[in-house]
Amino acid sequence: MSKLENLKAELKLLNAEYAKIKTLPPAERGPFGRELNAKKQRLLAAIARAEADAESAEVAPIDISAPAAPNQPFPTLPRGTKHPLMTELDHIIDIYSRMGFDVMESGQLDDEFHMFDSLNFPEGHPARDGYDTFRTAENFIPPAHTSTMQHRALKRYQHRLAEGGQIAVVIPGRVFRNEDADATHEHTFYQCEGVLVSRTATMSDMFGVLKHFFEAYYGESLKIKTQPGYFPFTEPSAELLIEKPASLAGKGDGWLEMLGCGMIHPNVLKTAGIDPTLYRGYAWGGGIDRLVMLKYQLDDIRYFESAKLDFLEAF
Amino acid sequence: MKISLQYIKQHVAGIPADLTDQQLIQLIGSRLVEVEGVEDLAPKYQKAYIVKVVSAEPIEGTHLHLCQIDAGPVTADFLEPADAASTAETTGTATPTIQVVCGAPNVHAGMLAVWLAPGAIVPATYHGERFRLSVRKLRGYESHGMLAALDELDLGTDHEGIIEIDPKSAHPGDSFADAFGLGDLILDVENKSLTHRPDCFGLIGFAREVAGILGLPFKEPEWPTLTPVQELPLQVQTDPDLCPRYSCAVFDLPDTRPARYLAPEAIFLAKAGMRTIDPVVDLTNILMLETGQPLHAFDYDKLVAVSGQTVPTLIVRSAQPDEPLQLLDGKTIQCTPDDILITANNVPVALAGAMGGKNTEIDPSTRRVVLESATFSLYHLRKTQMAHGIFSEAITRFTKGQPAALTLPVLAEAVQRLGVQPLAVVDDYPCPTTPEPIKLTVQDLNQLLGTAYSASEIAETLQNVGFDVRTAPLKPTSDQPAVPPHSAGKIPKNASLRVTAPVWRTDIHIPADVIEEVGRLRGYDNIPLTLPTRPFLEAEIDPMFHLKHQLRDLLSDRLGLHEALTYSFISRQLLEKTHLDPTDSYEITNSISPELQCFRQQITPSLLDKIREDLKSGHRAFGLYELNQVSQKSFGLTPERTPVLRTDLGLVLLGDFYALKARLLALFHDLKLPLEYAQLTPGSAAAEQYPYLEPAHSAVFTHGDQVYGAFGEIRHSVLTQFKLDQTVSACELNLDTLLTLPSLPHQSFQHSKFPAVERDLTLKVSADLPYGRALNLLDQTLAAAGLYYQISPLSIYQATPTDATKHLSFHLRFSHPDRTLDAAAISAIMESITVAVSSLGATVI
Repeated sequence: MSKLENLKAELKLLNAEYAKIKTLPPAERGPFGRELNAKKQRLLAAIARAEADAESAEVAPIDISAPAAPNQPFPTLPRGTKHPLMTELDHIIDIYSRMGFDVMESGQLDDEFHMFDSLNFPEGHPARDGYDTFRTAENFIPPAHTSTMQHRALKRYQHRLAEGGQIAVVIPGRVFRNEDADATHEHTFYQCEGVLVSRTATMSDMFGVLKHFFEAYYGESLKIKTQPGYFPFTEPSAELLIEKPASLAGKGDGWLEMLGCGMIHPNVLKTAGIDPTLYRGYAWGGGIDRLVMLKYQLDDIRYFESAKLDFLEAF
Repeated sequence: MKISLQYIKQHVAGIPADLTDQQLIQLIGSRLVEVEGVEDLAPKYQKAYIVKVVSAEPIEGTHLHLCQIDAGPVTADFLEPADAASTAETTGTATPTIQVVCGAPNVHAGMLAVWLAPGAIVPATYHGERFRLSVRKLRGYESHGMLAALDELDLGTDHEGIIEIDPKSAHPGDSFADAFGLGDLILDVENKSLTHRPDCFGLIGFAREVAGILGLPFKEPEWPTLTPVQELPLQVQTDPDLCPRYSCAVFDLPDTRPARYLAPEAIFLAKAGMRTIDPVVDLTNILMLETGQPLHAFDYDKLVAVSGQTVPTLIVRSAQPDEPLQLLDGKTIQCTPDDILITANNVPVALAGAMGGKNTEIDPSTRRVVLESATFSLYHLRKTQMAHGIFSEAITRFTKGQPAALTLPVLAEAVQRLGVQPLAVVDDYPCPTTPEPIKLTVQDLNQLLGTAYSASEIAETLQNVGFDVRTAPLKPTSDQPAVPPHSAGKIPKNASLRVTAPVWRTDIHIPADVIEEVGRLRGYDNIPLTLPTRPFLEAEIDPMFHLKHQLRDLLSDRLGLHEALTYSFISRQLLEKTHLDPTDSYEITNSISPELQCFRQQITPSLLDKIREDLKSGHRAFGLYELNQVSQKSFGLTPERTPVLRTDLGLVLLGDFYALKARLLALFHDLKLPLEYAQLTPGSAAAEQYPYLEPAHSAVFTHGDQVYGAFGEIRHSVLTQFKLDQTVSACELNLDTLLTLPSLPHQSFQHSKFPAVERDLTLKVSADLPYGRALNLLDQTLAAAGLYYQISPLSIYQATPTDATKHLSFHLRFSHPDRTLDAAAISAIMESITVAVSSLGATVI
């Protein structure tokens, strides 16, 4: 007997049970009847499924591994891609945004004042040489770091201090260094800057915020450590390293240098019109390209600006 | 910069015995400077032994000697028992010896030499193609390893002969590395992060920091003193703006015959990557490496002759434009007014801080020297460095700002170490400066760092590295005693500290500088982590950042295009190929290559330039886009006087105008942007702006009078320039102005409860009637009838390209808001369409 026939026989038996109701004492009739009804519902549903199955047995199967039925055109879907650097930048900005940072973008042609003067680089100081800047005939500078925006960020969001809040802003942007491109060096790359100014900012907050960011970014808890750094615009200054996240594939473990950071130099605040005796701040900046290279184990930084579809289509 | 860990450990007293080298290096890396690499010298000098040359017999007809050497206790390791017996026989001595053939002219019986045993790698080849020694036959004689010269040991350039070892310093069988301190770790530290630390460019300063990191007081070296002497005439005249202090001493050269034995100085210099030259130069280099203070020696007699005076005066002054000076390396430079010159009565004798002049060079005939120990304006020397491309060890240190306080003590040390009697000592220091005390409260420090250090912890940390710390209200008259070291508990918790930096810390000016010292020396890694609190106000997103994010989603995810990035700098040629005016581009004066010379004016040219390569790698129908900044000189300057930058969308698509138009209209629809488009008129301002587009096949985006961008097919002549032979369309859109556009208002939802009518409609129209006119008319007609409606295009049919007419087919769907449309009403609507289109000369078929 087939499954369907079995079920139907069962239903017949069940229907017969209804006759018993009359024989029961009045108090038991209700519960007995409800139980029978529930059983019947279940049986009817099972019968409907079994009937559908019996119908399906007649349907010829298709080749689910094929992209289309024979002689039919393949369905096409637009398949575009986003640049991995931009996707990563979006991801980074999304985390900072959720942490409460405003976002502003960095410009690609700037001047000596924003690149150096406003950042407490004394005029003609050798520290300016470390940045290998390009220059235009008009002495404009394609910025060598996103810190070129610090002064503007401090001015633009100063009103927040007056309102009793704080300046908290991140600034992604494209930066330039005068060096020949090879597999690990590019003259054009991306950085993200962070600036926070308040009445209570401390270095321990800075390390706390940065550790939190990297943990959110890699989705795992991480150790951080520092090494001393020198930037004329921060005092104290440090380089932040993170323990290589378990989620990163590739050889080796150890520490990854992630960014430069420090407490904003009082002169930088003063130049932007913020009283350094009332407010303190910290700032940091790091490269984006290397994060992407680590994530996808890219061995050549020059892919990023190549517009090669072989590369772009992989993301 | 290379730092000998051995030197550091020898100069820091009290390093805990259980601190490993690795731990120490890690601490240096986390609290002083990034350590980029560590070289362990020991493996390089493995199997290098001190040996005694027992006999050295010339091999006839050659320059070679057949030597028997005694390697003391290690001899046995290199001899088979049988060999030992036979050599004992041949040499007639009881001590077994090893046979080595040596080509050096100075090899002689009785000397101590350095033997590289079989199996040793010649140290000079250690970092290249390694040469491993063995036992081999030379002129028929078996030779075991070799006796080494200075250059083979990678300790100098000398190859005149093998080196000789002072019998007082070692014994046969001693390991060469152990005997000469080569069991050392050399740290390669990153100079950049010490740009502000002139003191750390000397080993003493570096050792002081290491002491500070370990919480140990550093014992400062005791410098000898030097008092002015005038037995020989010499005067100095400086300009304090160029040269804050100029100290010098004149003395007769000590006996500078080449030393017979290998000197520890050669090893010291080699560890720093320098080479031994002669005793005076070596000493100046060693003192520079130790103290960070460069020294320079002039030939005194030549100086007097050059000056043309009986009393020569060293005058330090700015160079005249193009003033010539022949340098020690033989090159003649043309000075700039930024260069500082040392002159003998105005005749240049040295380019200050950079290199001496040929005219006062020390040579074998020199009897008497002037030794200079000075400090110069780092700003001037930086320009000198750049202008003349001189990157010596000395100028590297001078450009960090060596302190004036150290010139005389280092000069005195040099005089003492040379063991000479100064005949003249001049110290010109017109404006002596002393470090100003800095007021700092314990609270200031802990608030900035987020720590809870006590006043005594702070004081001790600073005192360890030479700071003077006093507790005091900051009154100039108050003369409080210095905080005694290790005064834990004796200073009030919230004391005001008066901190004075040591003379060598020219970088300490403000409280934050002092706070950095404490935070760094005690370890930033020991600062507890906290998170700031913030008010719950929404964060602001840059509107451009947001727009780009939206565009990326639509262009990539919905329209199937690929986002690319290309360089902001392009070649002049690329501008010319796309008919853009290169003179309107900001040009980089120090560009890496002509390919990267001009700041781009638009994105499209960069993308056009990439199509061919992608086609060559097998990609067919594709579109690339980029969202990035562009600028043109003609955009002008911002109120802050920087170039106006514009963010553009650049897009290229393999396909015709219509393929691109469909995508762009979908894009604007989704962005709710009220953009219209119109034919690109040849010769119009817009056509000038997008000169690579074929106007006949292109359109501009407009809203009101404003043009927002253009799109269309690339001109055939431009495609040819890029070696492309298929139709390519492009779009360049100005996103900054796009952000100023109002969004289309949300349309109210319109839906009739009464059934909709569907009709197909074909119009026969003149071939040159624009499609848009017919569509507009249908639109107006249905709107005028008060209907809810949709018009969908079905087809455009023209039998042959020369036909005078074409058929435009539409699908219409319409309903009335208030009632069911009956047959009569529908006929009336269709009739009104027929009437309306007749005004275009069209007929309904």
